[in-house]
Amino acid sequence: MTKYVIRRVAQSIPVLFGITIIVYGILLAAPGGPTAKFANNPRMTEAQKDAFKRSWGLDQPIPVQYCRWMGLCNPAVDDKIAGSIPSPVALIGPKGWPNFLPEALSGSTNGLLHGDLGFSISSGYSVGDRIATAALPTFILASVSLVIWLTLAVLIGVFAAIKRYSIFDQAATIFAYVGFAMPTFWLGLMLIFFFSGPGLNILPAGGMTETRTSPAFGSPDYWVYFGGHPLAAIVDLAKHLLLPVITLVVVNIAGDSRFVRASMLEALGQDYVRTAKAKGLPNRAVTFKHALRNALLPVITNIGLEIPFLFTGAIVTESIFSWPGMGLLFITSTTQADYPVLMGILLISALVVVAGNLLADIAYAFVDPRIKF
Amino acid sequence: MNVEQRIEMEVDASEVERRQEEAGSDYEVTLESLSQWQLAWKKFKKHHLALLGLGILGLLFLVAVFGPILAPFDFNTIPKLEPGAKPVAAGRPPSLLHLFGETGGLQRDVLQLVVNGARTSLFIGFSSMFIGVLIGTIVGSVAGYLGGFVDNFLMRIVDVMLSLPILFVIVVAAKFLGQGSVLLVVVIFGVFSWMGVSRLVRSLFLSIREREFVEAAKAVGVRDRRIIFRHILPNAFSPIVVAASLIVAGNIITEAFVSFLGVGVNPTTPTWGNILANARTALLQGNWWWPAFSGGAIIVTVLAVSFVGDGLRDAFDPRSQT
Repeated sequence: MTKYVIRRVAQSIPVLFGITIIVYGILLAAPGGPTAKFANNPRMTEAQKDAFKRSWGLDQPIPVQYCRWMGLCNPAVDDKIAGSIPSPVALIGPKGWPNFLPEALSGSTNGLLHGDLGFSISSGYSVGDRIATAALPTFILASVSLVIWLTLAVLIGVFAAIKRYSIFDQAATIFAYVGFAMPTFWLGLMLIFFFSGPGLNILPAGGMTETRTSPAFGSPDYWVYFGGHPLAAIVDLAKHLLLPVITLVVVNIAGDSRFVRASMLEALGQDYVRTAKAKGLPNRAVTFKHALRNALLPVITNIGLEIPFLFTGAIVTESIFSWPGMGLLFITSTTQADYPVLMGILLISALVVVAGNLLADIAYAFVDPRIKF
Repeated sequence: MNVEQRIEMEVDASEVERRQEEAGSDYEVTLESLSQWQLAWKKFKKHHLALLGLGILGLLFLVAVFGPILAPFDFNTIPKLEPGAKPVAAGRPPSLLHLFGETGGLQRDVLQLVVNGARTSLFIGFSSMFIGVLIGTIVGSVAGYLGGFVDNFLMRIVDVMLSLPILFVIVVAAKFLGQGSVLLVVVIFGVFSWMGVSRLVRSLFLSIREREFVEAAKAVGVRDRRIIFRHILPNAFSPIVVAASLIVAGNIITEAFVSFLGVGVNPTTPTWGNILANARTALLQGNWWWPAFSGGAIIVTVLAVSFVGDGLRDAFDPRSQT
């Protein structure tokens, strides 16, 4: 088991490395680059543009930029700061440890391998801070939706499988087809129209907190407010959470309930289910003890593969409902051409995807005793 | 001879016996033999939803081809109101004059927009699918046929591509490389939708290349390229077609989604996605018909494509009965 886990983790390292290259390549291929936004600014002189490029290291050759971003090259060398490391490619840090270890050990200053994602060009904050601020709202939205969506998908799938070809089953099938065909944002728009439009107007159309009564979510003021009026703050949050959660749940439930249904039908057709019934066990015990437990095995793998897409897939939902999470940060950074933030989010979400695949494999190997290592 | 034909022949044989018994032994029955395509069509016709989907798709294609000719869209033309009508900021609801209502702001005809959007959206969905299937088939057949190092290398690339948060990557690529052009968006979508097909084709090749007819072709000295294209690929055709239908559905939704985020096709060329993106502006003033009809077009198309996909899967599946 341990060997298997180690092997799977080792296999994902080259994948992550490949991802850094693709992420870097896409942004490099973009015409203009981060300085494109100055192109039509008459107040920027050429010298100022050059200074901007130099200060962000954009004047260096591409391999050097990549190397610095990864944290293997030391920018101090090129800037001729006294006491810097003699070689521009510093595989070994100043303290004699390999340069890709954390700062405390290797002594190097920054770079991806040290867990430093660089600085946001548009705001000047560190990318890590910006992502961390945006991660909590995304986590709240994603986890609440995930719990509801999985519970409902399993319930609908199992019930549809038990009562196969019943009216409920057929309704679930139609719902799944339409849910698959429905773009997330369209559902979001329609929900906004019904619940926040001129007719009902009972739910907020966007945001995370009521701006007139509460400070912005995540700010120090907010936590003070939250401590003072916990109930009001939670109710406010729940109201804002309702529409985005419905959007995510409805769209995601469609495929998953089908998956659970198919898996459950397969389990119900197995010999051990017939044996259990022949023994005279009550139907309920056969369905839930024998069939369901086995039917959920493939579902576990599916969940592991889907969790990352809940985080990345929230990009549209967040953008419609102005939910201040990673998706919205990603969109604003795209319009602002804030490359370091974009690369940071791409990398972190790729990491989540790889970790999700890994966990799915390991969890599957763990719950299914038939898998040998 | 493939599995379907063999099954059909067995059916035919029993059918012949049955009819001979009915008509007496001296009566001769000739049964036409069906090609794989005729057989598939026979099964496909039994799938009512698939037929419906095919009909809707055909209709949509007609709309996409002739609609923009009948109701051409020009971004720079501001529509004129009929005499006596007052401008309404949110646009007017559906009426006999404007079946799908009007947009907010300039009060364009939503039906005209949706019809023009059909051409772009369907074009993007189908042509990006062709690119994706082409790349996927080439990569998959090379990896599956050659095996060894090439296979390993190509499949690791697929692993990396599949680990990318693909929607994020498409948004970034569309924004910085697409520049609002329809053709570039098609290429970007194609480049990011081949991975599934390549895995599928590879696995098909791995099993088909061990079959006797491939061995026979090799034994008589047929070149690799001919074996791949003439002997193996036709046998792998049906699963690829089914996968392709899923890609079309996925890419139409993705286009809508990317345009909705404002990084897809320029609003000068209407697509269902950027029509919907603009529809946000008048939503809270009560204009529901603008998003409802443009989004409805997407839903109907994707439903039709997935019905056809389901029908194709059943039609090509040798285990399903005629």
